[in-house]
Amino acid sequence: MPDYQNKLYRAEQVRAMDQYAIKTLGISGTVLMERAGAAAFSLLQQRWPDARSLTIVCGTGNNGGDGFVVARLAAEAGFKVKVLLLGDSNHLQGDALAAFQRLQSVDIEPIAYARSKLVTCDLVVDAILGTGLKGDVSDECRNAIEQINQLGTPVFAIDIPSGINADSGDVQGAAVRAAVTLTFIGVKRGMYTGEAVDYCGEVVFNSLSLPMAVYATQTVEVERIQYANYQSKLAPRPHNSHKGHYGHVLIIGGETGYTGAVRMAGEAAARVGAGLVSIGTRSAHASYLNAGRPELMVHGLEEEGLFDRLAERATVIAIGPGLGQGQWGQEMLRLALESGLPLVVDADALNILSQAPRQNDKWILTPHCGEASRMLGQSTREIQRDRFAVVGALQADYGGTVILKGAGSLVASADGPILLCHGGNPGMASGGMGDVLTGIIAGLLAQGIDQQDAAAMGVCLHAAAGDAAARAAGERGLLASDLMSWVRRLANPSA
Amino acid sequence: MMAGEGIQLADSAQTERLGQLLAQQVQAPAVIYLSGDLGAGKTTFSRGFIRALGHTGAVKSPTYTLIEPYDLAGGRVFHLDLYRLNDPVELEFLGLEDMLAQGGVCLIEWPEQAGSELPPPDLTLQLQHADGTRHATLIAHSPRAQAWIQSILTHFPPISHLKD
Repeated sequence: MPDYQNKLYRAEQVRAMDQYAIKTLGISGTVLMERAGAAAFSLLQQRWPDARSLTIVCGTGNNGGDGFVVARLAAEAGFKVKVLLLGDSNHLQGDALAAFQRLQSVDIEPIAYARSKLVTCDLVVDAILGTGLKGDVSDECRNAIEQINQLGTPVFAIDIPSGINADSGDVQGAAVRAAVTLTFIGVKRGMYTGEAVDYCGEVVFNSLSLPMAVYATQTVEVERIQYANYQSKLAPRPHNSHKGHYGHVLIIGGETGYTGAVRMAGEAAARVGAGLVSIGTRSAHASYLNAGRPELMVHGLEEEGLFDRLAERATVIAIGPGLGQGQWGQEMLRLALESGLPLVVDADALNILSQAPRQNDKWILTPHCGEASRMLGQSTREIQRDRFAVVGALQADYGGTVILKGAGSLVASADGPILLCHGGNPGMASGGMGDVLTGIIAGLLAQGIDQQDAAAMGVCLHAAAGDAAARAAGERGLLASDLMSWVRRLANPSA
Repeated sequence: MMAGEGIQLADSAQTERLGQLLAQQVQAPAVIYLSGDLGAGKTTFSRGFIRALGHTGAVKSPTYTLIEPYDLAGGRVFHLDLYRLNDPVELEFLGLEDMLAQGGVCLIEWPEQAGSELPPPDLTLQLQHADGTRHATLIAHSPRAQAWIQSILTHFPPISHLKD
């Protein structure tokens, strides 16, 4: 199958594909619902081979219809099946109603949902709400969702966990926490970002065997990426190499009292393979930084004209780590912008920028949620609510390539789909991780990788390094410095 | 499953239409063999097929390059023309197995040139000149290909079995 599982769609696009299959290609809705139910039952048996008793909670829409099919197939296979209907059975219609009626063939009598009916079983199947959800869930649904979550029984979600907004990943009042989610026709983009990542569990995709023509009807707006897609950009180096071939990164930051950030960014740039790394920082601690990592060339940047002399030799400037928002930081950002060099702009440089937004096609901006909220003048709650819209708005307002960091990091450029990397782990929510990312991206740019690729690849490499470090010794207590050796290994994919 | 279904294609627009209708049915990965003489409509069929999947530019037979890949919203289509293949061993360099592993659809003109080096087809389309029109024979090699064929047959007149 083509890599449909890496193409992410809005709910409306999936609905359009579904309708195209039914109306234009003449594949009946019943056939699709039967395929969905069969795929779900098959996956259920794979993931829970010991399960014998199921409680299937169904809504009255098509998601519930898929649940009825699972119930029938499971009963035919000898499972103990209980179907709980949430909502009025008079609201059932079309394919869902037909699937409901076919339950009679296996003598299943659906009963109205009530907390008391939710008793011990091996597995709960969530078929309450699908992707058509608009606004928060009803009180009735919210209660059921909370009760299912409190049950402590593993949950298998059909298409999407009930209560998750398929487009944004936002929790609409309450959402089912699933261990596995089987999603149909197209992966919904909200499943890999924001709050949803804690609710979907393992996401499995099934195309329902739709023809590729169905997929040809939609523009892919979001694509999932991983480091493997980019490894070929870091081929083994020719023996006849010179440090000048691999670029010169100039890191600017480190206001008095904040030395760690530039050191980590600089080291990451060097570990990913930049030929030379210079750091421009406050004179007070320049020599101290140099002693800690002698490969980094550290300069105190207070003398007039020194910035320009450093910039002349640089291939790329990364500015922001530990920069502060004072007069010195503002002056540094002004000089960096004047240099005309490709820039990676992070941390306090973004905060300064948010005071006077401007456009630049040659920069990569790397805000986290808090910085993004200042850059757009929105609350962090609003930012988390629709990260796709936010990264698009940042790119439109500021130009260049924008990375919105967080669970399911997003990369937006002027052209092409938004790229989503869902690698990484909660251990990476610790100080200095952003500085390492900034250094990695600058180091990739310095080696001649183009802006969009350097941004996307840097995000993937950073996530992969974090995941490797967490596998080695756990998520909790993971330090940004722990990534360095993995950054180096990952930067040599053929080794 | 080797029984072929014969249909008439009144003109090249109908040949293109056949490509379009088949493209609407095919699930990737898939291999389709296109056989027939020069000018029988293999490339015309391919044009209809590839355009139905969203390609807007020209579709030309890759006679000299042997292969033309199309990266489309629905997936990849690899259009091959093996007329000038000198030795079936050359196919190895094209990386056909990789293309199928990536989930592509391969439209292969002149599959006869490749001996046994090609992956087996899901469907074979034979095109022939016949009294100013063309005849197409669709042969399914798998149940799913049988289903594709069944859903498009009704769009074309069958070949008359009464010949004088």
